[in-house]
Amino acid sequence: MEAKKITYSYVASLDVLESIREMLTQAGNDIGLSKRKTYQLTLAIDEIATNVIKYGYQEAGISDGFFDLIIEFKEGELIVSLEDTATPFNPIEHSLPTEEDLNIPLEERPIGGLGVMIARQSVDEFKYEFVNNKNRNIFIVKTN
Amino acid sequence: MEIKIKTKNNILIITLKGSIDSKTAPEVQQKVLESSVNSKNVIIDLTSVDFVSSAGLRVLLMLYRQIKVKNGKVVLVGVSEEITDIMSMTGFINFFEIIDTVENALNTY
Repeated sequence: MEAKKITYSYVASLDVLESIREMLTQAGNDIGLSKRKTYQLTLAIDEIATNVIKYGYQEAGISDGFFDLIIEFKEGELIVSLEDTATPFNPIEHSLPTEEDLNIPLEERPIGGLGVMIARQSVDEFKYEFVNNKNRNIFIVKTN
Repeated sequence: MEIKIKTKNNILIITLKGSIDSKTAPEVQQKVLESSVNSKNVIIDLTSVDFVSSAGLRVLLMLYRQIKVKNGKVVLVGVSEEITDIMSMTGFINFFEIIDTVENALNTY
């Protein structure tokens, strides 16, 4: 397949989550990615985009934020990069719940903290870079 | 997002339709918790739910807590492979009874 790169820009509002899922589902279908892998990619990006919108922008008092999703089709890989100018946040430094944490009865569990774990575990590879004052979360899915 | 609520044999049946993400979850949570405040036994029908993020899991967590203090039971119906995946990954799967149809769920009470 010919290498192809497409950039989509979004305002930092939770209203855009649904259209992001639709766009990614279409991208997954277009390249014949399995239904399950396509869903997991949309889930991973939904979780990180939510954090960027809610904590990176809205809670930081930035009302006119935006972010980009850059989709690259490469041989054997679908790569989606989420770039934002919100508060720097490295999900890889974020400590994940341990096996023990996940066995805590639901009535005693802390609320929250699952989004980053879900995002990291739902794609084949997850990377984070901070470049030119931008957060770049990179989601890689093997397509074959 | 559509939320339909009914009771049968004194068991509350909540049918959800659409996506439960961080945009829709606050409304779903409010409706689910409000409608089940006087119920001990709740069935959540997820057959027509096509997407659940961690925000959706939080709704299930809050409902579970509200019902658990009353020694009640939450049964989930129509749980897709995708929802099963996220519930397994987070350990939620161990705390809910998962049944294929509403009819069969009613028979567990």
